Amino acid sequence: MKKRYAIGIDLRKCIGCHTCEMVCKLENKVPISVWRIWVKEGIKGKYPLVRKVFLPVLCNHCENPTCVTVCPVKASIKREDGIVIVDPHRCIGCRYCMAACPYGMRHVNPLLGIVQKCDFCLHRLENNEEPACVASCPTKAIVFGDLNDKNSNIYKFVTENNVTVLKESTGNHPQAYYAGLDFSLADKKGMPE
Amino acid sequence: MDTTLTYNVPMQETFGVWIAVYFYLTGLSAGSFILSTLRYVFGFEQFKPLAKPGVVLAALLLVLAPLALLIHSGQPMRAWHLFIFINPTSPLSWGSFLLTIYPIISIIYGYFMFKENKKWARIMGIIGIPSAIAVHGYTGFVLSVAKARALWATPIMPLLFLVSAIISGIAMMMIVNVIQGYFFTNDRKINTDLLFTLGRMLIWIIVFDLFLVFCDIVAHYTGHKEGIEVVKHMFTGTFGFLFLFAEVFVGKIIPMIVFAVPRWRKVSLYLIMAIIIMIGIFIMRYNVVVGGEHIPIV
Repeated sequence: MKKRYAIGIDLRKCIGCHTCEMVCKLENKVPISVWRIWVKEGIKGKYPLVRKVFLPVLCNHCENPTCVTVCPVKASIKREDGIVIVDPHRCIGCRYCMAACPYGMRHVNPLLGIVQKCDFCLHRLENNEEPACVASCPTKAIVFGDLNDKNSNIYKFVTENNVTVLKESTGNHPQAYYAGLDFSLADKKGMPE
Repeated sequence: MDTTLTYNVPMQETFGVWIAVYFYLTGLSAGSFILSTLRYVFGFEQFKPLAKPGVVLAALLLVLAPLALLIHSGQPMRAWHLFIFINPTSPLSWGSFLLTIYPIISIIYGYFMFKENKKWARIMGIIGIPSAIAVHGYTGFVLSVAKARALWATPIMPLLFLVSAIISGIAMMMIVNVIQGYFFTNDRKINTDLLFTLGRMLIWIIVFDLFLVFCDIVAHYTGHKEGIEVVKHMFTGTFGFLFLFAEVFVGKIIPMIVFAVPRWRKVSLYLIMAIIIMIGIFIMRYNVVVGGEHIPIV
């Protein structure tokens, strides 16, 4: 049966430790000042009723990805198993996919001049290992798996929890599911003041 | 509930100033091509002096324009991939063919024009007009298809680009006309009739352009959340100055008033206004491209 990889993040378990961020950079040799997954942080409310909220964001591996639609050389590909990848030998570095991605999850490698992105740690998947961010999460807030497999963690996560996705209005059908998502943080954009 | 953002990462620049330069050059090229066809296709004899410089500039600028793309590209040596691996849903893929066909058409059109072969110049002009519209209209689609940015993802974008292309093309032709009269005629007499006719044309095209910008802003402001953010971004801060003051007020409204007053019909004033319009249209490209991606999406 065809695989359909997806990622789920339980924000009720996330403690904002940025481990996924660091591990991803080490695992994939992500260049300096760019990230493939990072944790947005915010402070909600006012003292004494105050708490910190976290939102790890990464490529959503959309069902209907804008980056694949706009790539002029078909270097961005939606694989059969649902993973969106960039062919490093074909990409011309025009950055149109970066401009078109509603989630802003792509970056340019300044040394290679090509666009790179999260590929769910494809080299680890081939060895039957989970992506680095999933394997390293200390509270097991990130779950990963095949949505078509009824016994997978992600299937259980999506069916048992009240899940939602980011920017549903784009019509891209993102495949990163969040439980306990606080849209007051998701709607805050740009750099903190 | 009020949430304050305390940590986020900076976004990389996507389409920078080089794409704005590229859009500007293709716009100038398309605008000057359309002006050069006014005589050979539409038969307006008073535009005869503009036909030859128009077509030469159209071909020249469109040879320069892809250089800006190569500077922008991270892997310029792979530019040939664009002709081998074609993605029909990508406007950039259409553009790679338009950018090759259009200069060839304009060079053939120019060849017949310089040979004074009116019949074939007319035929090539008729083929050339749609390709000039396509080569600049597609740049509007490049932005309009990128649905991430609310400022870009409007259906009006190709039309807005075409109208501003014609404005910048006419302004360039005004400068060409002055240079032609002053340096390339024996009596150093500038063709003022033509200059003032171009000015009169510009009044109404600028009015149409301002109307389109107004429509765009109103639709954004009354639209969804991201659209309102766009309007706030374009009305305040750095881009507020560049958009409201530099682009709209200095770049469009002042020249429009100057061209509309019959007493101010002076060559020097028209020349200054033409230069201001050309700079204003470049600022418009910059505002759209860099301003559009300056609005944070994550």
